[in-house]
Amino acid sequence: MITLRIALNNLIASRRRTMFLGAALFLVTMFFVLLLAVTGGVLDNLVRAATTISSGHVNIGGYYKTTPSDSQTIVLEVSKLRQAAKDALPDAVRVVDRLRGWGKIISDQGTQQMGINGVDLTEDAELMRILALAPAKDYLENPPNPELVKGRIEDLSKPGSLVVFASTAKRLKVDVGDAVTLRTETLKGQSNTAEATVVAVVRDLGLLSSWASFVPKESVRELYQLKPDVSGVVQIWLKDIDRSEAAMGELRTYLDKQGYAQLEHDGQPFFIKLLQTVPNEDWTGAKLDVSTWEDEASFLVQIIAGLRAMSFALIALLAVVIVIGITNTMTIAVRERTREIGTLRAIGMQRGRILLLFLCEAALLGLLAAGAGGATGALVASLVDAAHIPLESVAVRAVLLSDALHLVPRAVDVVLAVVALTAISAVAALFPSMRAARITPVNAMQSAE
Amino acid sequence: MTANIVELKGVIKDYPLGKLSVRALHGVDLALVRGEFASIAGPSGSGKTTLLNLIGCVDVPTQGQVVMDGRSTGDLSDRALTELRLFNLGFIFQSFNLVPVLTVAQNVELPLLLQGKLSGAERHKLVAAMLERVGLGSYLKHRPTELSGGQRQRVAIARALVTRPKLVLADEPTANLDSVTGGSILQLMKELNTQDGTTFLFSTHDADVMKLASRVIRVHDGKIVDDGRARPSAPATAAAMHA
Repeated sequence: MITLRIALNNLIASRRRTMFLGAALFLVTMFFVLLLAVTGGVLDNLVRAATTISSGHVNIGGYYKTTPSDSQTIVLEVSKLRQAAKDALPDAVRVVDRLRGWGKIISDQGTQQMGINGVDLTEDAELMRILALAPAKDYLENPPNPELVKGRIEDLSKPGSLVVFASTAKRLKVDVGDAVTLRTETLKGQSNTAEATVVAVVRDLGLLSSWASFVPKESVRELYQLKPDVSGVVQIWLKDIDRSEAAMGELRTYLDKQGYAQLEHDGQPFFIKLLQTVPNEDWTGAKLDVSTWEDEASFLVQIIAGLRAMSFALIALLAVVIVIGITNTMTIAVRERTREIGTLRAIGMQRGRILLLFLCEAALLGLLAAGAGGATGALVASLVDAAHIPLESVAVRAVLLSDALHLVPRAVDVVLAVVALTAISAVAALFPSMRAARITPVNAMQSAE
Repeated sequence: MTANIVELKGVIKDYPLGKLSVRALHGVDLALVRGEFASIAGPSGSGKTTLLNLIGCVDVPTQGQVVMDGRSTGDLSDRALTELRLFNLGFIFQSFNLVPVLTVAQNVELPLLLQGKLSGAERHKLVAAMLERVGLGSYLKHRPTELSGGQRQRVAIARALVTRPKLVLADEPTANLDSVTGGSILQLMKELNTQDGTTFLFSTHDADVMKLASRVIRVHDGKIVDDGRARPSAPATAAAMHA
């Protein structure tokens, strides 16, 4: 207790030093929390985008091969599979199926190869909640009214409708109401086409938006000439997304017991398996493939890992500056307080307690400054997020997976930043603290002669 | 219990000076009796501080023995020496050496806290009583910087005595004070010696200060030239008899 009291009082007494080092620690922690909030925001965007556009929390995909070298993404007897998912996972809050197509969208002025998702809005209402109409400026060149939003996502329930993301609309140079042609290849290798009308252009949801579009289920069935009880994937949303991995395991076991043939788990998105893995496997017929949202977005998870690594590298660099600052300042403080330390040693304070005294001083400074920095960082992140600041650069939008700055300050990140900076402060003070502990009580008597 | 609180037997102390070695004490023999109010006198560089350092267990001899309360300090670890100081010795420094960031009461409480024997309430009671005795009963919450030199030295005396040590070492306790304040400080130390029988050993240059001492140990060139045993004081004798 006395150690803490002396440490705290010394911090208060050395106001200038405390303010200088405290300000540095405050700023670095705040910056760290903001960086982590950006990463958290990207992760949040990714989860939202991945679990809207291409995946549920858990998915039952399927591959069908008529010869060993081909492959199509279809699941047979989908109504039975949906029931199986509900039976195996009682915590599933939503079970839907979507058709997965891959083909060209051809407009008057452009062509784009992309995924064509067949959805049924009556059961996939969540999709409407996540998708938002894009303003004209997002996809038209010099529109007369840049903020104008046109179309209705609800019209996706009409036959022959198409919803595209703004980036796709921009590349195809299409507006709401324009007609396009969808061209795909059937299971038998024949080209098939269908006409569609753009009923809505929606805001981009990051990189995933670049290769996804939505049409009614019937459009995909017609394009691929599929039977009614055939679909592309069963998507399952759980009460708790963190249970995805465990739920996948449970579902796999359940489907095994029901006699379904399954692929070994492979943490890759379905299109990589479709194009690379499955065609190289020597089997024919149908196999199911249970995956999580993280599998389906694994290529984007690397962006988050990269952002996180960059944040840590940047903070490590700043931490070095902090360490040098604290070490120097504490070394000076130890020199200035030699007589005080000698006195404490003379009256009976053990070396270990002197060491603790200086470590406490640095750790206390770290805790207070980093705590304030962490809290401020979280507050600033929340305010920035609430301001919905639009991102103008396409590259930044692609990396941050959003068209507006989205920051998520997570409590665990704030704690991590505060603990890390407090520990760094204490470690930086270790060398001067050891020097302080080595001071002999004779130093207290030096003024005698 | 022996009458001697500390004994020095053939003590030699050398200090390294570059590649050379300087001898600060040349085979000193000395014994301090419980209850004495003794002074070490001598010119600068005579070895007073070295002698105080050895008696105060903040340093160990190169040769010979310093026996404190029956234990030879040369055989003790740093930890054991620290404990020995904490439980047996009190220090009063020339520059007061109070911890500037603690209040008067906290400074006096410090050695009690380090001892860890008493409860908070007991410590506070003891500290208040001690500060009352040195005339600073109304200064508990003050910081050392808010006090005069004489008041600071009184706080240092209270800190040195609050643990009821067997020996109090005072290193030129009046050197940084004016003569009136210095006189009152010595008077206070003398009173505490008389009332409690606490052994005091202080170094000084000042002839007037020496007059108050029951025994003046004169040091010159690292040797005791006169240990002043001819003038035992009344309390010293009484304490020695009752030990």
